[in-house]
Amino acid sequence: MIRLDGISKIFPGVKSLDNVTFESVAGEVHALLGENGAGKSTLIKTVSGAYIPDEGTIHFDGKKRKWNSPKEAKDAGIHIIYQELVLFHELSVAENIFIGKAPLTRFGTIDYKTMYERADEILDRLGHHINVQALVKSLSVADQQMVEIAKALVGETKLLVLDEPTAVISGREAELLFERIKLLRDEGVCIIYISHRLEEIFSIADRVTVLKDGQLVGTRSIEELDRDQLVGMMVGRELKDIFPPKRIPSLEAAPVLTVRNLCALPKVRDVSFDLHAGEILGIAGLVGAGRSEVAHAVFGSIPRSSGTVSLGSEDFNTPSPRASIDRGLGFLTEDRKEEGLMMLLDTSANISAPVLPEFTTATGLDRAHEIQVARDEIDRFRIAVPGPESGVSKLSGGNQQKVLFGRWTRACRRVLILDEPTRGIDVGAKVEIYEIIRQLADDGLGILLISSELPEIVGLCTRVLVMREGFVTGEVEGSRIVEETIMRYATAERESAALDVA
Amino acid sequence: MAYSKSRYLVRRLQLDPSLIIVILLLAIVVISGFVLSDRFGTTRNFMNVLEQSSGLGFASIGQAMVVIVGGIDLSIGAVVTASTIFMAAIVDLHPGLMIPMIFGTLLFGAMIGFCNGYITIKTGVHPLIVTLGTASILNGSVLIYTLQPTGGVPYWFEEFAYGRIWNVPISGLVMLLCFALVWLFLRYFQAGRAFYAVGGNPEAARLSGIQSNRIILLAYSASGFFAALAGVYFVSRTGVGDPRIGDPITLASITPVIIGGLILGGGKGNVLGVLLGVILISLLSNLLNYMNISTFIQWVIQGVIIIIAVSVYVHKGKKL
Repeated sequence: MIRLDGISKIFPGVKSLDNVTFESVAGEVHALLGENGAGKSTLIKTVSGAYIPDEGTIHFDGKKRKWNSPKEAKDAGIHIIYQELVLFHELSVAENIFIGKAPLTRFGTIDYKTMYERADEILDRLGHHINVQALVKSLSVADQQMVEIAKALVGETKLLVLDEPTAVISGREAELLFERIKLLRDEGVCIIYISHRLEEIFSIADRVTVLKDGQLVGTRSIEELDRDQLVGMMVGRELKDIFPPKRIPSLEAAPVLTVRNLCALPKVRDVSFDLHAGEILGIAGLVGAGRSEVAHAVFGSIPRSSGTVSLGSEDFNTPSPRASIDRGLGFLTEDRKEEGLMMLLDTSANISAPVLPEFTTATGLDRAHEIQVARDEIDRFRIAVPGPESGVSKLSGGNQQKVLFGRWTRACRRVLILDEPTRGIDVGAKVEIYEIIRQLADDGLGILLISSELPEIVGLCTRVLVMREGFVTGEVEGSRIVEETIMRYATAERESAALDVA
Repeated sequence: MAYSKSRYLVRRLQLDPSLIIVILLLAIVVISGFVLSDRFGTTRNFMNVLEQSSGLGFASIGQAMVVIVGGIDLSIGAVVTASTIFMAAIVDLHPGLMIPMIFGTLLFGAMIGFCNGYITIKTGVHPLIVTLGTASILNGSVLIYTLQPTGGVPYWFEEFAYGRIWNVPISGLVMLLCFALVWLFLRYFQAGRAFYAVGGNPEAARLSGIQSNRIILLAYSASGFFAALAGVYFVSRTGVGDPRIGDPITLASITPVIIGGLILGGGKGNVLGVLLGVILISLLSNLLNYMNISTFIQWVIQGVIIIIAVSVYVHKGKKL
């Protein structure tokens, strides 16, 4: 269906794609894998006509093609569904499906009756039933995704690209999505599927192509591969080299953080745990299990409904971010753009934000001291930034994350909460951050690590709490920390898990 | 380091390099002034412009502070009006209270600003709507009280507006002082830094332990305070409280803020840019007055300048 031969795309300073050859046939699900920066999105943008390759040729549907714009590719039958859904929330399902292509009456007005009928037909074809007159904002994210897919079926789509479609939906919804995708595949649509999640590659893909640093690593049939081989292809090194060695902390001293029966309804229900100095305690679970909310409730950035939190021997029951920081707590939040960095401020101001009182003298802020501190953090974490007074918005994800590590290690004396510390950064930066986390624990901080990437939890933590629907459904330690056990608790019913723990 | 002196000054004052457009426009206005009018290019005229720009200057400082924290204050004009009435009416009855009433009026303005901030925080209603509401309440109340200019202040109080020290107008000096203090505050104080943090990313600021609500209250209170200071200035100029005097000030206060490189939405900008904006607008209208060009054409020209300045910022922002 589509064949790319020797594609190269060069951006100033970077060869984003280097002589890549890729082929996908009708009626298959072809997974495209690679770390961030491997060239997946450049490849997709080449397929979709958003980029014109500097070298190489594209064959689509048996003919040699050269797209000059995304519209040409779209007209030829290529449809891309991006991770961020592009739907109009105040319009109905049918209006969204037919946006810009609504059937018209002979007076030139929108023919709603025909539009609703045809929208129903399309959703039938997907085997997915939603009220086509409902407003999109009233739908679940999974249903909204179906609307996106339905949009692809209005015209004749021969090639459908899905960019990380499961990033925003739960496990069960993902299975439903896979069924729909397989329906389309069996109709003869060629599907290119981009994902980070290895598990789902095995349940949906027929073939896999792996890219690394803009180069093709290889294309394999899924039957030829196991998980470890696939990881090896993606990162180009063995898993054991990625994580620093674990160290079992001394649990004899009193815990630095004690949480008892913490509730922050409706997301956090009756959570209790201890965290010791030098310990890396993981919180695992599916998206929406209440992990981040536990962190927010401890840190005081969402209200607690009940329960107690103590730091060392000191009760901490009048929480607020300011009070937490003053008591030596740090919280590196999940979304660095929305909740972490202040993009319009420079690097030094981003680092000093929680500890500004330290830099305040009788005559105002001691800017020289602030800059010196920022310079120290830049050196310590090897942050690739021109200087303490340059901005943070243009930094790579890994460097932005390191700025936040600089901020919080500066501010934090007892407990550091890390919420998805490696989300959206490349593997090299991940390895550096794992080492930083290890080092911080060795320096005596208690670390609470929330992550959706199970290998990270398994590779770093000496103890793991698993959450589901706001409850802690299991706690695993030592050699029991393996992905299968964690997944079992993460998807378990509460009752059975409770029995299992007993 | 081998910075040239001007480059060093730009660094030191943290001026946005894009402000070059404002400086260019200023240069154009000044040069055309020298060419087109023999009365424009005199020290005497520049001092007059400085004096006349004070009202706009005070109002714009407050507007700038609110804009930096991500808000907007559409009640500034109404606070100016209400302050003139408040001051002139009370001083008219008790002339002995002249000096205390200066501070009383500033406090009055700050309190209204505080209310704006408080309502914004507590209700979550967009400040555009909250301040539009308080503006309407204030303007309505003032017009219930009087339709005519009213009250009066002792004659000597006009010294604030018209008085000179070493030939420099007092009001202008006070305005420059206010800009300098606010600049220092925003740049060199913890709370000032917090203004930019809250305006740039309120959630990140909160999670960094910054007490955003206090900062927002402070910004609106300051805006009310400076609007009242503009009111005091107008009372000094006109000697009365005037129920319509603030009407054009609200929108006028936004113009220098935008020309000065601040962005609506907050988190960015430098009040020295706003000062340049105030001076640009004042010099321009001064020049056009000398050329006998009508106010309406002046509005047209102002509009063109706003759009030119902002397109340069947007363009530069993309390129950086």
